[in-house]
Amino acid sequence: MDTVTTLILAFISVVLVNNLVLTKFLGICPYLGVSGRIDMAFGMGMAVTFVVTLSGTLTWLIDNLVLIPLNLEVTRYVCFILVIAGAVQLVEMYLRKFFPSLYESFGIFLPLITTNCAILGLCLFLNLWEIKNFATAVVLSFGAGIGFTLAICIMAGIRENLKLADVPKPLKGAPITLITAGIMTLAFMGFAGMIK
Amino acid sequence: MILADIIELLSNSWQAGVIMLGLSMVFAIVLLVASIKFKVQPDPKVEQIHKVLPNIDCGACGYAGCASYAKAVAANPDLIGLCAPGGSAAAAKIAAALNLQISDSGPPLRPIVHCRAHTEDKTSFAQFQGIESCTTANAFANAQACKFGCLGYGDCVAACKFDALHIFDGLATVDYAKCTGCGACVKACPRNIIKMVPFAHENMITVACSSKEHGKATRSMCQVGCIACGLCAKQSDVFSVSDNLAFVDYKKYQPNEKTEAAYNKCPTCVIVYRGKTAPPPRETKKKTEAAKT
Repeated sequence: MDTVTTLILAFISVVLVNNLVLTKFLGICPYLGVSGRIDMAFGMGMAVTFVVTLSGTLTWLIDNLVLIPLNLEVTRYVCFILVIAGAVQLVEMYLRKFFPSLYESFGIFLPLITTNCAILGLCLFLNLWEIKNFATAVVLSFGAGIGFTLAICIMAGIRENLKLADVPKPLKGAPITLITAGIMTLAFMGFAGMIK
Repeated sequence: MILADIIELLSNSWQAGVIMLGLSMVFAIVLLVASIKFKVQPDPKVEQIHKVLPNIDCGACGYAGCASYAKAVAANPDLIGLCAPGGSAAAAKIAAALNLQISDSGPPLRPIVHCRAHTEDKTSFAQFQGIESCTTANAFANAQACKFGCLGYGDCVAACKFDALHIFDGLATVDYAKCTGCGACVKACPRNIIKMVPFAHENMITVACSSKEHGKATRSMCQVGCIACGLCAKQSDVFSVSDNLAFVDYKKYQPNEKTEAAYNKCPTCVIVYRGKTAPPPRETKKKTEAAKT
């Protein structure tokens, strides 16, 4: 029971309290780039969730079973990027085969998941937070993806409504998006300290 | 010494190398299996069309590149004639790939700069010292006296992907040997003085001026502007005058004595030939006088 509680707390903490986008400011590029429509944002969130779960789990395994015992932490970045790039390629092929329209609409942002810093950030955080438990690592990786999906979907919802709003001319487009992102970050700061 | 260093380096780092190699092997195999399993069969029609396109991704058709245009054409044959650099040859090949027949789309379009004022012909009211681009210079009214003429900062040159436009003495000049007719310069020109013209002949006659000012005003601002005297319209019906400016009906144009007479009679020498082997424009009277004295 105790482990389950820990896992649930870990999940909530990475989704809300330590949300990678809104409190660590990672992965801002797709967060602003693909949040124009809610269905696309959700698709992007799902793709990132898949990649981050896969690569977070794999990199935790590689890190703890191979790199740390052999004292090869210096190669961490290269190995992690390798894993992430491989996972993204996999997602890209899968989407191209089964969701061609989604694949078209993502355009350049799909291969760019490789350089999405939220994913590499999560892989490195797993080490930084000294996660010693495989189950926690998996839950945290999955939670990071869900947190990203949550943030990007909220953003897309707001932006869809903003299209109908009477925004002052100088603020139209990117400025109002950035202001929205800032206010959302402020709101999410309210979660800070909820879980110790 | 060096050898010892290298051996030390290798003996310290071989593990890292082996691990990287092993990891890449694993991912290579996984991706290979995935690429076979998730293989997408591309539409053979699209591939065929893509092959006959020029593959320069100029964007003249309005699509992001040749690949997306090929896809759009395969889905909607109405879009066949949009490839400007490929011209009618590409259109015919696309039609063949789609099992369609097209009628001849006419002569290829090439841009003509409707201004012939070099720096020495122009008058300026003030000196423009802002950002060196036509768009900004155009936003400041009348630094250059003529508000229709070429500004010469080269927005069109920057837009041209084929090195076919250059500024000579403050005038944008098309190199017709290199031009593919993609129309990027037409969109780039803030004064809309570059227009696409059907080049039925190697050299086309044109009124190289866009000034709609009254004749006297044009004359006061530019040595080589059209003053709408109407002499050309009297010589040949290819020419017509409206809005204080002479126009050429490019579709009607056939080189003959009448158009040649119009070319020779034009008092400001604003009627010129443009094309691959176009003769240089006639010298204006003022310039020859100045040269004499």
